[in-house]
Amino acid sequence: MAPDISNFTSFLVPLPVILPLAGAALGILGSKFRSFQRVVSLVALVLGLAVSIALIVEVDDKGVVAQVAGGWTAPLGIAFVIDRLSAVMLVVSSVILLLVMIFAIGQADEERKQSSFHPLYLVLAAGVSASFLTADLFNLFVAFEMMLAASYVLITLGGRADQIRSGMSYVVISLIASTLFITVLALVYMATGTVNMADLALRFESLDPGVKAAFAIALLVVFGIKAGLFPLYFWLPDSYPTAPGPVTAVFSGLLTKVGVYAIIRTQTLLFDMPDWMGTVLLVVAATTMVFGVLGAIAQDDMKRILAFHIISQIGYMIFGLALFTVAGIAGAIYYVVHNIFAKTALFLVASLVDRRAGSSRLSEVGGLVRSAPIVALLFTVPALSLAGLPPFSGFIGKFSLVDAGLTGDVAWMVAISLVVGLLSMYSMAKIWSGVFWGEAEEKPAREPEPGERLGGPLWMIVPTVAIVVCSVALALWGGPVYEFMVRAAEDLMDPSMYRSIVAGGG
Amino acid sequence: MSIAVALVTAVLFGTGSWLMMQRRLTRIIIGIGLLGHGANLLLVSSGGPSGDAPIISGDGVENYSDPLPQALALTAIVITFGVTALLLALGYRSWQITKDDVVEDDVEDRRVLRRSNQDGPESEVDLEDAVPVGPDEDGVNRVVGERGEGDGS
Amino acid sequence: MTAILITHALLGALLVLLGDRIDRRGFLVAALAPLVSLIWIGSNASSIIDGDVHSWSYDWIPRLGLTIDLRVDALSLVMLLLVAGIGILVCAYSYRYFSASKPALGRLSGLLTLFAGSMTGLVVSDHLLTLFVFWELTSVTSYLLIGNDDRNPRARDAATSAILITGSGGLVLLAGLALLGGQLGTYRISEIVTSIPVGSVSWVAVVLILIGAFTKSAQFPFSTWLPGAMVAPTPISTYLHAATMVKAGVYLVARLAPALADVSVWRPIVFAVGSITMVFGGWRALRQVDLKLLLAHGTVSQLGLMMIVVGTGHYSMAQAGIVLLLAHGIFKAALFMVVGIVDHQTGTRDVRRLTRLGPGWRAIEVTTVLAAASMAGVPPALGFIAKEKILAGTIDGSFAGAQTLTVVIALGSVLTFAYSARFVLGVFGRLTSHEGGDAIASADPPRMSLSAPAILLGVLALAIGVVPQVIDSLARAATQALHPSSTPKDVELWAGLNTALFVSAGVIAVGCLLAICRTSVARLQKRVHDVIEPLPSGDSTFWWIVAAVLRFAKRTTHVVQSGSLPVYVMVIMGVATAGTAIPAVSSYDNFPEWIDSPTQLAPLSFIVIAAIGATRVKRRISAALLLGAVGYGMAGLYVLNGAPDLALTQFAIETLATVLFVLVLRVLPQDFDSGQRSPTRRSMMPSFRLLISAAVGAGIFIFALVAAEARESVPAVSVSEEMLERSVPDAHGSNVVNVILVDFRGMDTLGEITVLAVAALGTAALARSAGRRRTAGNSRTDVVLRSEVLDTITRLLFASIALLAVYFLFTGHNQPGGGFVGGLTVAAAISLRYVAGGVEAVRRSVRIPANVVLGGGLSISLATAFIPLALGGTVLEHAVFTWDAPLLGTIKTTSALFFDTGVFLVVVGLVLMAIEAFGGEPESDEEKPNSRFLVGETT
Repeated sequence: MAPDISNFTSFLVPLPVILPLAGAALGILGSKFRSFQRVVSLVALVLGLAVSIALIVEVDDKGVVAQVAGGWTAPLGIAFVIDRLSAVMLVVSSVILLLVMIFAIGQADEERKQSSFHPLYLVLAAGVSASFLTADLFNLFVAFEMMLAASYVLITLGGRADQIRSGMSYVVISLIASTLFITVLALVYMATGTVNMADLALRFESLDPGVKAAFAIALLVVFGIKAGLFPLYFWLPDSYPTAPGPVTAVFSGLLTKVGVYAIIRTQTLLFDMPDWMGTVLLVVAATTMVFGVLGAIAQDDMKRILAFHIISQIGYMIFGLALFTVAGIAGAIYYVVHNIFAKTALFLVASLVDRRAGSSRLSEVGGLVRSAPIVALLFTVPALSLAGLPPFSGFIGKFSLVDAGLTGDVAWMVAISLVVGLLSMYSMAKIWSGVFWGEAEEKPAREPEPGERLGGPLWMIVPTVAIVVCSVALALWGGPVYEFMVRAAEDLMDPSMYRSIVAGGG
Repeated sequence: MSIAVALVTAVLFGTGSWLMMQRRLTRIIIGIGLLGHGANLLLVSSGGPSGDAPIISGDGVENYSDPLPQALALTAIVITFGVTALLLALGYRSWQITKDDVVEDDVEDRRVLRRSNQDGPESEVDLEDAVPVGPDEDGVNRVVGERGEGDGS
Repeated sequence: MTAILITHALLGALLVLLGDRIDRRGFLVAALAPLVSLIWIGSNASSIIDGDVHSWSYDWIPRLGLTIDLRVDALSLVMLLLVAGIGILVCAYSYRYFSASKPALGRLSGLLTLFAGSMTGLVVSDHLLTLFVFWELTSVTSYLLIGNDDRNPRARDAATSAILITGSGGLVLLAGLALLGGQLGTYRISEIVTSIPVGSVSWVAVVLILIGAFTKSAQFPFSTWLPGAMVAPTPISTYLHAATMVKAGVYLVARLAPALADVSVWRPIVFAVGSITMVFGGWRALRQVDLKLLLAHGTVSQLGLMMIVVGTGHYSMAQAGIVLLLAHGIFKAALFMVVGIVDHQTGTRDVRRLTRLGPGWRAIEVTTVLAAASMAGVPPALGFIAKEKILAGTIDGSFAGAQTLTVVIALGSVLTFAYSARFVLGVFGRLTSHEGGDAIASADPPRMSLSAPAILLGVLALAIGVVPQVIDSLARAATQALHPSSTPKDVELWAGLNTALFVSAGVIAVGCLLAICRTSVARLQKRVHDVIEPLPSGDSTFWWIVAAVLRFAKRTTHVVQSGSLPVYVMVIMGVATAGTAIPAVSSYDNFPEWIDSPTQLAPLSFIVIAAIGATRVKRRISAALLLGAVGYGMAGLYVLNGAPDLALTQFAIETLATVLFVLVLRVLPQDFDSGQRSPTRRSMMPSFRLLISAAVGAGIFIFALVAAEARESVPAVSVSEEMLERSVPDAHGSNVVNVILVDFRGMDTLGEITVLAVAALGTAALARSAGRRRTAGNSRTDVVLRSEVLDTITRLLFASIALLAVYFLFTGHNQPGGGFVGGLTVAAAISLRYVAGGVEAVRRSVRIPANVVLGGGLSISLATAFIPLALGGTVLEHAVFTWDAPLLGTIKTTSALFFDTGVFLVVVGLVLMAIEAFGGEPESDEEKPNSRFLVGETT
């Protein structure tokens, strides 16, 4: 049986998946009644948030909490395991999912028009949570599919021509990635006779290094497509910006990070990161950063600039992992969390801009610092943070990586990351002076919305503010947060506990 | 894993990739389909040599074929089917818009190309009037414009 | 001190938020912040001068060495005086300078306050990283201040170049500081200065830090942003670009010099850069026609001097540097204010248009003379004392290159004198050119309230010079803060007859000469300038670099980011294959048997033929059917492999998929190549595609064999062994596959049906986005094959197939079947019904709305997952019970059945929705499709 079954927290473990799914089911049943859907979604997401907060408290105390579905023992049934990494990802994603949902309701665009928005969004939420929870490689595949299937529909909600075009590329690429994932799973089972991660970790040890390497790279590729690593990311900047604003925000905030999470999880748990892997990851990280940021400064549309930034930021996270030291991984995790908040906030701002100015193209927007000062302020904080300027969370993330990099003497990598930081700053300045300063040179594509005093409807502004506040808090309480990340990193560096819990019948 | 099965898998993957690298959505979908079949073939044969159907009939232990890969494959098949249905729907919609199922290049990416062939981006235009406010005898007389700040005071 | 910083922050934020609601009055509010600092200074100055130190420390991220350490010693006090004192004067000045009507003044004053706060923080940080934090904050705030007049493109560019240059400097600095901190093991400035293990400091760290400082203090070759920044309103320039921010770099160098000056590279770099900056700046200043730019270049030159002085790391020079800091702060602020006043009243700053000022201008003229005298180093102004001390320091300097410095500084001072003179003459309207000059003859004199701050500073510039005792103790204390063991000389006007005095005299003499025969000097400069004209100026170089980077970015991006799906796919497949096959093949040795059982040969070869066929055929529909054929081949193979459930599922799914394909394809052109439009870019050449595809095939072939072979090396048995054992006793089902699906790995299945539900929603949503109403009764065009007989037959068939489906569902746990197979069977029945009767028929045979079926199914499965959890079990834990069912007899079953029922319903719901979506009359956004082959075939 699962560990301390009587225990309340163990009861909580599967809820982050079950709650949104239940919400989705209700949403489908009541697809005629929008307000009913809204209530259901909000309730589900709020409960989900509460649960994950309860879990992170428990996990930080216990180390690991687990439950095996169906009351079986681990390799037999599917184990849901929460360690510190999963817990923090769970909390952050619940916060984002809830706030963006509020934003979507405030915007009342696709959310109001499409009866399927709410169920789909909740399925996405369930998929994300499941990916963080599961300790079973095949179940991870299923979780990804839930998440992705929902994303396929969300990204094309509205069915505009450009959405369909980029949607097709997105679906095709992801579908290929999924098929590759199945292939890898088949080969893994072929070689080891199990798909339970902890089990795999033990059985991989007796494998020939060549095969092991092949599996390590195979998994890296499969998740790298989702995470947006070079040279697998090209689909991402094409597809994300076309989705409805809130959807883009959630995608950029969460989907890529789920990929990163999967990479961190598998590489640390299943493989003991030989040196060559470190080098491979460093090179990948460097190229990802550089090409990502070059792409960003080449764009002239706010959303696309931000989309390319997703890529270059992923590079930093992989950089941290590649060092494979506690400091490095802690930095990486902190960076992931920072990036989720900053990125989501920026995309929410982007859709506020889009709504207010009728376009997100730099040439068609201007002077928002005068016409919508609040929006400008909401942009400034995450933008500075993204550019890695102190005292915001981005600086902490960057500095922790720089520090770890210097101690792990990969000065060249540090240098690259600093240059990339400069270019990020430049592209943020580009957005600022294009969107918030000056005048619009060309007429926007759509008619601008009538100007509210806040620069947007109250319930679009409030959640954006909330996320910005989160990101500031992340910097303000950087000390304890970073300490937590370090503990999480230590767990990852020594996965014995995770393994024992999962393999040892929980 | 027998050579024969491995070969068939190879064929499925090869033909699948061949089709996926084309521009007609129909071909791409079929390609993905083939790839999927290949993956499932691997999955099913990943349980080692085949045996009897894994349905316990009580009488002693027989040589069952591995049930787990079958279950996994079943899940995989159904999921792939669901997503393929979605993709088909997309193709349908795309036809409604473009009267065709060609997957076009990304418009924005082509814009980048165009713009890089132009004289240059806005900032390069800025370049001219940013050149140091001509500090010379032969330079412009009012360099830095803030005339009128004082007006009315 | 913390309180002061917070005051600045809050006040600034408040003003920014108030924005236009508070116009120039904002500056009066803003004045509160520096006022607070001044009060603090007033109450603590004496004790600090007596040598005690106020310090505060807050943990931020201890593990990263990030802490907030504040420490006020005498040197900080000097800087604080400048920041707060000039700050408050600038606020007063701005209030009069700006017209009430000018927009965005609230924001301006707010940003000014925020900047003042950052600057205050910078000069009181005792921790390299704390200092860095404030350092970057000043960069950001100055960016916003420079660009505040955001409609002016030149302002935006100036701001951009400022943030890029100082920003890149900041990053270099960060790297340097991180290195230094790592090598010294501490970031505490006070510790670094006291404990000096210079040996461990690498020259790299030093160079990086110096570069950072140089960018901030506009040293050559980074000086270009400062003149550009003059686009900012004059009060802002007064504060940022004369008095405070540009001194940050000097301050940092001064702080670290005592510790690091002995690192080999330090002095050479500092001296070289400082000298070039000083001379070059002076030279440029002498050529300006815009008074403000003249001052800007003058500032650059002076900053070069300061850099040299504080960079020597010798106490006497340090003292001189401190005096110079004060002197420069005072006279440069005064002069900037004067420029502002002139500009404000006359509307120009162009020396060629300014004429003699009217009678009301005396006060300003006096101020100008006093401040300029201090700048030129004329006794008895404060500037003179500073220069004396500097010269004295270099002349009897103990450090290498001291004598060369004397020459350089002398030369620089001559230029300084010259451009000071030029400034004065300019203000007095003595440089008027013939064509200009007219307009401003009768400019009304400024109000007292506007000129007061300038006058005050001008007076200070003189007064402190006359009675230097007032700053003597402060300067000494500040010097000792840097060099604790040192005993600096007094700050005095008359230091006796010494070489320095003669040098100064010489400087002044030559300076006068230059001023008098200024026309010939101008001619000389023009000639020199004509020679260096073609050389790129610093600013154009900067923008050239920016443009180059942009061009590079665009080129690379459009190469990498081709936007073409086939390319993306190719890259992904290529990477996946290469990455895995290469390591895999390394561990490949023995050769498995050819084939398990010859019976497999038939389906396998069938699959191969169909697959290859699918790539060759021209018609869409035949390709789709061939894909279906492959599927059936797979099903056959599964039967042989002892996988009946899988076979059933595959069979049903393949049928369903083919139907869907047909529904969609009927609207598309028959042949692949007969599309209305051909691709905008032809996909990459076939041979290349062939290569990749072959590689993929080969790769998977190898990987598969290797993986299979690797199984031997793993001792443990498959998980499934245990499943086979426990299936009947513990899970009460003899069909192990089904038991796995609904019990062991129920969560997979749960996720799976969710995916199906999403697919259903998706197809529906897309259909709706096509704006198609539900095609009502007239199923004329719906009909694909139509005949009454068939209709009745299918109706009967439908019932019986549905019954079979239910049987599958109920017995699935023990025999082939289960929720999926059952649901798919119904699906098959429904699609049959559709083919016969169209959407209408389907609606008639299934009356419940699709979304209810779908949602209901999902809910049931979820319930079976959740209820055990709620009862204290685990998710999806199943209970057992027996019951009597009609025509099936007594069944011992588990709650897994309900779960499976959910699955069953979801599958049915999917098919219903899909048919709703595709089944109707296909319409395009333009006109009707031109090829409908199914109808074509049947009619």
